[in-house]
Amino acid sequence: MTALTPQPPLPCEGEGETQTGALQAGAIHCAPTASPDPVGAQFIAPAGGDATSAIETRGLRKTYGRKVALHDLTLTVWPGEVFGFLGPNGAGKTTTIKILTGLVHATSGEARIFGRPVTDRRARAKVGYLPEHFRFHDWLTGARLLDFHGRLAGLSARERQARIPEVLGLVGLTGRGDERVRGYSKGMQQRLGLAQAILHRPDLVLLDEPSSALDPVGRREIRDLIRQLRADGVTVFLNSHLLGEVEMICDRVAIVDHGRVVRAGSLAEVVGGAPEVRIAVDRADRELLAALARHGEVLSIEPSEAGQMAIVLGISDPDQIPAVARTIVAQGVELYGLVPARRSLEEVFMSLVEGSEG
Amino acid sequence: MHALTIARFTVHEAISRRLVLSAFVLSLIFLALYAFGLSLLYNMSPAFREQGGDRSEVLAAGTILTVLGLYAVHFLSSFVALFLTVGAISSEIDSGTLHAVLARPIRRADVVVGRWLAYAGLIGLYVVFMSGAILSMAWLASGYQAFDAARTIGLMVLGALVLLTVSLFGSTLFSTLANGVISFTLFGLAWLGGLIEYIGNMVQNGGMVNLGIAISLLVPSDAIWKAASFYAQSPLFLAVGGTRGQVPFIGAVPPTLPLVIWTLAYPAVFLLLAARAFSRRDL
Repeated sequence: MTALTPQPPLPCEGEGETQTGALQAGAIHCAPTASPDPVGAQFIAPAGGDATSAIETRGLRKTYGRKVALHDLTLTVWPGEVFGFLGPNGAGKTTTIKILTGLVHATSGEARIFGRPVTDRRARAKVGYLPEHFRFHDWLTGARLLDFHGRLAGLSARERQARIPEVLGLVGLTGRGDERVRGYSKGMQQRLGLAQAILHRPDLVLLDEPSSALDPVGRREIRDLIRQLRADGVTVFLNSHLLGEVEMICDRVAIVDHGRVVRAGSLAEVVGGAPEVRIAVDRADRELLAALARHGEVLSIEPSEAGQMAIVLGISDPDQIPAVARTIVAQGVELYGLVPARRSLEEVFMSLVEGSEG
Repeated sequence: MHALTIARFTVHEAISRRLVLSAFVLSLIFLALYAFGLSLLYNMSPAFREQGGDRSEVLAAGTILTVLGLYAVHFLSSFVALFLTVGAISSEIDSGTLHAVLARPIRRADVVVGRWLAYAGLIGLYVVFMSGAILSMAWLASGYQAFDAARTIGLMVLGALVLLTVSLFGSTLFSTLANGVISFTLFGLAWLGGLIEYIGNMVQNGGMVNLGIAISLLVPSDAIWKAASFYAQSPLFLAVGGTRGQVPFIGAVPPTLPLVIWTLAYPAVFLLLAARAFSRRDL
C-alpha cells in the first residue's frame, strides 16, 4: 500500500454513501465539488434544528486566538444510537464534547442537544458526561461523590439513596462506595466516572476516551455497559481513538480531522462503502491499468513476493467484480488471484488522516 | 439552590481537609499567647496592679494592647481569606475536578456564589471568634470596654470579605500562582496606601493623602481596618484625645459614610464580576 497510496478527496468522501440512501444524517458538510450526485453533497439533516435529534451541530467553529480547534463541524446523532467520534489527537474531538457540555463556548455555529441549544443549561439535564482526563474530589468517598453529583443533577434524596448503590454495581464497584476516592486505582476512578455519568439515567451519554485507563478486562466491561445503555435506549457519543473498540460497538461513526468531519455514516458505509479488489497478475502494463481505471481507482501497485504484480483496485460496487475479471482476461494478462476485500476501519482512518499530523 | 449545594460541599471539603481544625488549633495557640502576654502585663507591672499609676497611661496601654491584638487578628484573617480563595476556582480548573460538575444543569455562577457563601461563612466565624476572644480577654483582664465592639467586629469581617472576594474573582481569571501574587500584592498595596495617607497627613502633603485614598478605594481592606480600630478604642481614651493620630495602624476618626457604603458594595461588585468572568471562560 505504499507505492501509490492515493490522496482521497477528503471533504467529500461521503458521496458514495449517499447513493445508497443510507446517509441519513451522516451529515457530512462537503465543500462544493464537481460531484456526480449533487444531493449527496448536502447534509440531509432536518432544517431548523430537529427536536428529534440527540445531538445536532451546524457549522460549529472554535478558535483560540489564531489556532483553529474546530473548523466547521456539522453532524447529527440520532437518539438510541452509539456514535463513534474518531480522529487523531488534536482533531477537535474533546473540543466538540466540551462545547456540547457547555464547558467551551463555540466561536460560531450552532449546537443542540435534544433540540435545545447547548447554551441553555436545561439541555444538560439529561446528559451524562465522562471527561477525558477526569479527576474527582479525592477526599470524598465514592458514594459521597455520587451523592454530590446526584444533587446537582436534581435527584431527590430518595432517588439518590436507591440509585447510588445501583450504579456502583453497574460499573463493578459494589462494596467500594465507602472508600475514599484517593485510594482508588486508575481503573476504579474511571469506573466511578462512568457511574456519575449514568447516575441520573441520562438520555445521552458523552464519553471522552472512556477506556483509556483500563486494562483489557475493564475495556470489555465498558463495552458491555455501553451495549446495555443502547439496549435501554440511551444515546451514546463515544470519543475514541481505539478503532477496534469503536468497530465493536458503534452503530455510526464520524471521522474528524483538523476540526472537520471527513467521513461519516454507518460503520458498514464508512468501512465498506468503497470495497477493494486485490488482484494478482503477471504484469501490470499501461493498457491494463487504463482498463482497470474504468472500473474504479487503482489504489496501489507493488511487486509481490511470488514475482507477480499486486494491484489494489478501489471499486464503488461489489457487483463490478465479475466485470473486472473479464477486463483483466480480455487484456491477455495472466490472472493469479482476485480477492474482494473490505478495508478495516483502521485503514480507512489512516488513509483519511494520513500525513495530517504534525 | 445549587449554590447552596456547592456551599455545603465547600464547607465539607474544608472540614474534610482539616482546614478548619488546623485553623482552630492555631488560633487557640495564638489566643493563649496573647492571654499570657496580657496577664504578664496586668499582674506584674506595678502601675497596673495597684491602679495607682497615671490613669490615662493605663487607658492608653490597655487600648493599644487590645487594638494590637485585633490588628494581629486582622492580619491573620486577611491571610486566611486569601489562602482560602486564591485557588478556589483555578485549582479546580487545573485539576479537572470542575469539568464533570459544570456539565450538570447548573449555572457557573452557582459555583462561584456557592464557594463564596462557604468561605465567607468560614471567615466570618473566624473573625468573630478571634476578635471576640481578644475583646473578651481584655475585658476579663482589666474591665476594658471598646467604644463599639459590635461595629469593630462587623467592620473586621467586612475587611476580610473584601480580600476574600477580590481573590475569588482573581481565581476565576488567573492561575492559582498568578492570583496569589496579585492578591497578596493588592493586600500589601492597601496597607501601603494606608501608610502613605498617614504620612501625608503628618507632613500635610495633599498629594500623598489623595494617593493613599485612591489606593484605599481600589482595595479598601486597610481603610476598613482603620475604621474598625477606631471603634475598638476605649471611649474614655477617645475622650481624652485618643492616639492623636500618632499610631499609624489605629484609626483616629470614625469612617466616612461613603467608605462604609463602598466597602459594603465592594464584595457584591466583585462577586458579580467573578460570576461573569467565570461564565465566559472556556475550560
